[in-house]
Amino acid sequence: MIRTSLLALVALALALGTALAQMRAPPASEAACEEPTLRCATKVTPAFGPDGTLWLVWMAGGQISVASSQDTGRSFSPPTQVTTKRLNLDWGPDARPKIVVDRKGGIALAFSIFRDEAFNGQVLYTRSADGGKSFAELKPITANNESQRFEALALDQDGTVLAAWLDKRNRVSAKEAGRKYEGAALFFASSRDGGATYAEARLAHEGTCECCRLGLAFAAPGRPAVIFRNIFEGGVRDHAVMTFTAVSTPGEIRRVSNDDWQINACPHHGPSLTIGPNGTYHVAWYTNGKTRKGLFYAHSRDEGRTFSVPIALGRLDRSPTRPFVLSAPAGTVMVWKEFDGEKTSVQMTISRDDGQTWSPPKAIASTSDTSDHPLLVSNDKQTYLSWMTKADGYRLTAIEDQP
Amino acid sequence: MRFRFAGIASLNVLIASAAAFGASPALKPFERGTWQGVIRGHAGRPVLVHFWGVTCGPCKVELPLLGQFAKDHPDIDVVTVSADLVPNLPAATQSMLDKAGLSSTENFIFNDGFVERLRFEIDPAWQGDIPRTMLISRDGTITTIEGSAEIADLEKWSAQQFSKH
Repeated sequence: MIRTSLLALVALALALGTALAQMRAPPASEAACEEPTLRCATKVTPAFGPDGTLWLVWMAGGQISVASSQDTGRSFSPPTQVTTKRLNLDWGPDARPKIVVDRKGGIALAFSIFRDEAFNGQVLYTRSADGGKSFAELKPITANNESQRFEALALDQDGTVLAAWLDKRNRVSAKEAGRKYEGAALFFASSRDGGATYAEARLAHEGTCECCRLGLAFAAPGRPAVIFRNIFEGGVRDHAVMTFTAVSTPGEIRRVSNDDWQINACPHHGPSLTIGPNGTYHVAWYTNGKTRKGLFYAHSRDEGRTFSVPIALGRLDRSPTRPFVLSAPAGTVMVWKEFDGEKTSVQMTISRDDGQTWSPPKAIASTSDTSDHPLLVSNDKQTYLSWMTKADGYRLTAIEDQP
Repeated sequence: MRFRFAGIASLNVLIASAAAFGASPALKPFERGTWQGVIRGHAGRPVLVHFWGVTCGPCKVELPLLGQFAKDHPDIDVVTVSADLVPNLPAATQSMLDKAGLSSTENFIFNDGFVERLRFEIDPAWQGDIPRTMLISRDGTITTIEGSAEIADLEKWSAQQFSKH
């Protein structure tokens, strides 16, 4: 008797389980669910358009989608699916889809997929010329088929889109020559048609760390700057900045700080760069070097030639991670995550004197389950925290004025 | 009734586990509390715990060397933990372990979406960089090697473990 009723209940449980499994992701997943909807997203990237529209691009259920909001995130348009099928999207901790929206409302996107079982990557791009209603067929950003990951996009004043990424193509020639190849290389390509097509990819710098996000911004028209985790002599993975002398002309690399993190590993933890209207570079990064450990901020007022003494961010006993810095008219804002053993909070600090002094850190959001990196996005009037969380969904939170 | 529900619960756990790890039953799920279980389970013995991931370049180079070390040192308990952030690749994980000669060691794979919490339990200072090796002496002293370990250092540590007794 017990056995029979047990089996019936088991059958019912199985049927229910199957139905639920179609909607919910397994508990081990970083996603709340497996649909391509915003609620199920693990990575969400924001951008404001010139008309004040907020655009989001996200990865969820193996697909990339885009939607817009006219009321700063309270409601969203029906999403447009950019991908036509489920892809093996790059789910590395520092990977995320990228978006820029130009003055005409054109939307350029880029993201990475794993293209083989060895986890070699491929950067794909597309563009919408009809206000996000449809996107062009996805194309690889370079014909080279070795491995590319961690792309970044930035928009110049004249509408040029610059893409930069980490590329392992040169390991082939190194191997053939019997040379050891460490890390990856920084490659770039520019687009003069708003991200519809890109020029041939070019090398900017060889010997970068291979698994951390880049930071990319324009220092001045035609002068992009990129921050990346470099591999310095002796296998030291500290940060470097390169300011291009023209969109197609890489410049010298400058060391941000001498943290002395000698490690042969994937830190999975890349830097952040923003450049103020007066040309100040603000950078934030993570290191676990001999000289310093944790999150740090520094600024440069000479295009990255020299940087201020690094300032530590966050509480070391709360595992501060994922710093992001953004310069906006109301001030330069930094956010990062801290974890207290149960909850993750987003800490915020603001500087109104171009990075000279910073307000005391303040928790502006928290969640009790896994979460995306905290990002900042700004329109002309206001800076917002953009944060995807598994438990509480997507949030766009205005950064309040600090006393 | 209690028996009945317990039975269903167990079955559901089994079904869930089979779905998640069907391709590689040898991989154990690493979840909240697993770390303390590993520590307790190997108490009094020298243990090498290796954190790695299938997408990590330096890990791919180190793993076969570790496989050889495990083979050469049967008196050291070798434990591996696949610590990639999205633990949805048990087949790739198992395949790399097999190729590295680590099929028969105690192998875990992260199985909790809240990886910050998992890492915090292991070491609050760990931000997720891999590879990472923790050497636990008989007396419980933990030595952490960030990045690829030098096999010579592992040999030295191993020798120390047995020279004390």
